[in-house]
Amino acid sequence: MVAIDPTEHEISELGPEVNGIDDAAELREMLSLEASGEDRAPVKTLIESRIETLEAGGEDDPESVDLTELTIADIANMVRDIDDGDLLRDILEREREGKERKGAISQIESRIESVEGSDDDGTELEYEPPEKKYPDLDHPTADKQYVEGVSGESYRDMWVYCETQQGRLIDVSKEMLGRARELMDAYNADNAVADDTASYGGDEGGNTEEVVAVLIGDDVAGLAEEAIAYGADRVVYHDDDRLARFRHKPYTELFCHMCRDWSQEWRDYHEPRYNIFPATNNGRDLSALVQGELDSGLASDCSDLYIGAAMISNPAKTGKPGDSVEFERVLHMPRPDFSGFEYSTILCIDKPFRDFHPQGASVIPGTFEVPEPGDREGEVVEHDIDLPEDWFQVEVVDHDQLEDGVDLTGHEVVVAMGRGIDRVDPTEGIELGLELTDQFEDAGFGLSRGVITASYEFGSHVEGYITEERQIGESGQVVEPDLYIAAGISGAVQHKVGMDESDTIVAINTDPEADIRGFSDYFIEGDLFEVLPRFIEALEEGTFERAIAEVSSD
Amino acid sequence: MTEYEHYEAVVVGAGPGGAAAAAALAKQGIETLVLERGADAGAKNVSGGLIYAEEWAPYTIDDLFPGFREAAAERPVEEYYIHNIAGENVKTFDLDRIHHRGTEWCDAVLRRRMDSWLAERVHEMTRETGGGLLTDVRVNGLLREGGTIVGVTCDELDPIEADVVIAADGVNSELARDAGLMDWDDPDDWFQGVKAVVDMEPEVIDERFDVRPETGSAHLFSGDLFDGVRGGGFLYTNEDSLSIGTVFHLDSLADERAEPHELLDSLLTHPLLDQWLQGEYEEREYAAKLVPDSKRVAHPSPHRGRLLLVGDAAGQMQAQGPIIKGMNHAVTAGGLAAEAVAEAQTRGNVRAAGALYEQKLEDEGVMKRLRPRRYRATRFVSESRPVNRLGRTLVNSRLGAAGLKLFDGLLERSFNSPFVLGMIPDTKMTYVTIPERVGEVLGDPVDGESRVEPPELDDRIGDLTYDVDDPHIEVLDDSFEASGTAVTACPVSAEGFGGGCYREETVQTNGEAERKVSLDTQPCVECGTCAVVADTHWEHPSGGKGVQFEQG
Ligand SMILES: Cc1cc2nc3c(=O)[nH]c(=O)nc-3n(C[C@H](O)[C@H](O)[C@H](O)COP(=O)(O)OP(=O)(O)OC[C@H]3O[C@@H](n4cnc5c(N)ncnc54)[C@H](O)[C@@H]3O)c2cc1C
Ligand SMILES: Cc1cc2nc3c(=O)[nH]c(=O)nc-3n(C[C@H](O)[C@H](O)[C@H](O)COP(=O)(O)OP(=O)(O)OC[C@H]3O[C@@H](n4cnc5c(N)ncnc54)[C@H](O)[C@@H]3O)c2cc1C
Ligand code: SF4
Repeated sequence: MVAIDPTEHEISELGPEVNGIDDAAELREMLSLEASGEDRAPVKTLIESRIETLEAGGEDDPESVDLTELTIADIANMVRDIDDGDLLRDILEREREGKERKGAISQIESRIESVEGSDDDGTELEYEPPEKKYPDLDHPTADKQYVEGVSGESYRDMWVYCETQQGRLIDVSKEMLGRARELMDAYNADNAVADDTASYGGDEGGNTEEVVAVLIGDDVAGLAEEAIAYGADRVVYHDDDRLARFRHKPYTELFCHMCRDWSQEWRDYHEPRYNIFPATNNGRDLSALVQGELDSGLASDCSDLYIGAAMISNPAKTGKPGDSVEFERVLHMPRPDFSGFEYSTILCIDKPFRDFHPQGASVIPGTFEVPEPGDREGEVVEHDIDLPEDWFQVEVVDHDQLEDGVDLTGHEVVVAMGRGIDRVDPTEGIELGLELTDQFEDAGFGLSRGVITASYEFGSHVEGYITEERQIGESGQVVEPDLYIAAGISGAVQHKVGMDESDTIVAINTDPEADIRGFSDYFIEGDLFEVLPRFIEALEEGTFERAIAEVSSD
Repeated sequence: MTEYEHYEAVVVGAGPGGAAAAAALAKQGIETLVLERGADAGAKNVSGGLIYAEEWAPYTIDDLFPGFREAAAERPVEEYYIHNIAGENVKTFDLDRIHHRGTEWCDAVLRRRMDSWLAERVHEMTRETGGGLLTDVRVNGLLREGGTIVGVTCDELDPIEADVVIAADGVNSELARDAGLMDWDDPDDWFQGVKAVVDMEPEVIDERFDVRPETGSAHLFSGDLFDGVRGGGFLYTNEDSLSIGTVFHLDSLADERAEPHELLDSLLTHPLLDQWLQGEYEEREYAAKLVPDSKRVAHPSPHRGRLLLVGDAAGQMQAQGPIIKGMNHAVTAGGLAAEAVAEAQTRGNVRAAGALYEQKLEDEGVMKRLRPRRYRATRFVSESRPVNRLGRTLVNSRLGAAGLKLFDGLLERSFNSPFVLGMIPDTKMTYVTIPERVGEVLGDPVDGESRVEPPELDDRIGDLTYDVDDPHIEVLDDSFEASGTAVTACPVSAEGFGGGCYREETVQTNGEAERKVSLDTQPCVECGTCAVVADTHWEHPSGGKGVQFEQG
């Protein structure tokens, strides 16, 4: 049995899944499913390479493997996965008796040291400012108070920047609040409550930490309750009519002030532990500016978030060459690489004499589900400092609201109308098309370019539909619904390329020679002004199959 | 002073005229920038395809571009015929004499190949002077300072200043229009050329045209196969294709409400062509372009201030009866314009370049070929209706027929006379009536039968390559009276065809039915026809946008 049938998943989803499977037999089964199903080369490569990795590792049982058969690099790789000091010492012994390679011996010894800690723990690292350590280099951040020196401060809570548009929380804000709620509920629990994120029973002192939502804008106070319903424990908001539109300077300054400089009873810590932003146009800007100002890092465009421990051996982080140190409460921020196929998990980790907090991420919209709003309680806090004039030197002089795009893809049915509508009256033709569209649960309404570029004068109630956004074809949208109904469309090649992948194509045309006949599953020779009303009527009473049978019976 | 980039010379357009001008300027060491709107030089251009090197001409293409014939041309034309057609009857005259007279050589060309080769040479040469050739740039007007032309403005670049601007931007020259030297009002001033490039293996061409591998032939067609529209057809052999096309007087095409693609099809499907096509027809490309009629529009003084017009932009396109010469004149004019600029520069007064250029056109005998005085003299008579009618009665009478028979040889000779050809009035009589009568009386029936099926218009459009952009043509008056002619005259539109640029529509306004036209510029091949026959604001698309011809 396989846990995941690869043919049911997108390539991008499979990356992390496959790499989490340790059973080669299961992987082989997945491989054969893929081969007999979708047969996508990259997916097969992915699975194959996982099998290879597993088997390469599996062959050398460290307890019994003949070390003389292995290269130094093999040994280094092998010991890296071993945490058992006794086993490591056994391996060391065997190497000494065998080839006695210096390189291999030092690899094994350093691993022993890193799992057990070195003997000379007495020597404490001493802080040496970089200016002193490397006097020849420039030190552009030397005068920034938070870059070096801040360490051992207190950090708490998960802050979520909630973006609004037109006075409403946008979906990704709700998605982030939902995930933040899950993460912090698990975090505050004593024992594991979720299997994808860790529990700590609250902060280091056992106090629960909060989800803090940030709202900045003009008249956003009213959204605070909603933010609580979606998961926040506390909402900090700032209202000012100058903040009606997103502006870099005041938004950045405000966010930083709220979370670092604003002294409040409930905010008795240095900075947030975690900051989460949406990876929208504005969110991307704000996240980079805020995290830069707070002298921390940012993982942008993340496609998941969870909290857990991380074993780190990088001496820059641990301060002790050769040692591995376990860091707790680390926000794991996986993000796709540029192919969308591989993932990297970004960690933002303190180093000696220098804290990297808040751990910050921006999250791709749609990554998490929009949660059901709950009946929750929370605190609402107004942040009401005076805003200096010089934050507003950049003025927004003009702005434009782009029309909501019409997306015709992803519908089960698409009804498209062509120039055949002018036979009687174009307005009536569009009305019929819209009425037919309404007969289906999930249908989109499209047009040929021929209609959009015509000089027809449409009645005002249908005029709004005649836009290039509804064009299907080479220079419009490409759709592949289950059912495509083309009425009064000749089937020019530029139209065809936008729809001929549809499962079932029904064409209604008065001309039996029309090109569209060549790639239709059902061709109904007839006047759309007669055929469509009967179609609509038949659909009102029954199924599409019946309607087709009814209409094409003559 | 403005901060614009400055060149000694800016040449707009990299067709034969612009290429010749730029090469000649570069040879004089003049800093020259060439701007071409096509994504590649030649991507916008169409010719029938015979380029002439004439003995009298001070500049020919291979003078300026050594190696041109081997690298950029198709087959040299060694045989030249005209076929007078009446129904199935055809009388063929050999035009060898007129063809070879004063001609050093004459090669068939395809413009994409030719122009892109020229452009590479031009770029190398002009780069040496501190300039170069830029494609994908459309010049959209003249840069003026206090009313004086000082450079050009472009869609893609900042304005550019120049001591002289040479507009070699072809027919529908936006610069000539901007300078007030040309208007696009009168259909009488233009021809419309439409052409298909047809696939054919080199060996098959050798065999069916009875030519040697390195040579080719040319055929012209006139008579009654074009529904009375004044004009004719041509067929030229390329290395591995044929160029088959038609050229009509735009006024006649418009008046007869003829469909250009159908006229082309009547030629393609005439039984006479069966000997060559033999039922096989694979069309590589369908293309069209306006052609100026130099007899009417060759500008006697093609310059204004620092602007010099060259080639089609100046109306320098000579239709010697059915023989079409535009590219060679563009080359000559380009060379002369460059010469004039260099001379004026030496004299320390570049503003004199225009007048010098005009003088050279006159002195070198270009003008007299483009606007023969004979034509000016005969034109009034031959175009007047009574004379026409008289001619028709004459050829239709028994006497006429007998006369034609008697003068068979003489007729062939008179077709070969540049004097007569230059005089040929552009009336139906010469294009249709006489050839038709010749075919009827003297001709023999062809025994072939056409078995080819040319593609439908929608497939022709479908096979073209477009990089579509915002509309570049705007219909100012969409009533049928004002702009309806374009529905038929546009080579990619047709009555009852919803996939064309221009479509006739009946619109109900307040209960009244109104005939209107609508325009979608996506299938446009930028021929320029609707700039003349419809009420439009007409511009070329921005650099690199619009249609891209692979053959030309
Ligand atoms: C069907 C047909 C058959 C013909 N047959 C023949 C024939 O057999 N022999 C012959 O000699 N002539 C023939 N001609 C005429 C010949 O093609 C022209 O006379 C010749 O191409 C003119 O050359 P030109 O350099 O002036 O212009 P073109 O060759 O038209 O070149 C103009 C150049 O300027 C560019 N351009 C235009 N506007 C701009 C702008 N705003 N900015 C930047 N670049 C611009 C264009 O893209 C083009 O590359 C024929 C024409 C047609 C249509
Ligand atoms: C570069 C380029 C890009 C293009 N991109 C697109 C694109 O993205 N999308 C697109 O659609 N087009 C595109 N086109 C245009 C395309 O070529 C066609 O012109 C267009 O699709 C034609 O629209 P139509 O089928 O509605 O009109 P027509 O071709 O006019 O067809 C109308 C049809 O309706 C039938 N009819 C008439 N009356 C009735 C009636 N009463 N009942 C039923 N049938 C009737 C007729 O028989 C005819 O078949 C593009 C063109 C070009 C050149
Ligand atoms: S729309 Fe105008 S310019 Fe374009 S092909 Fe038609 S007639 Fe020519």
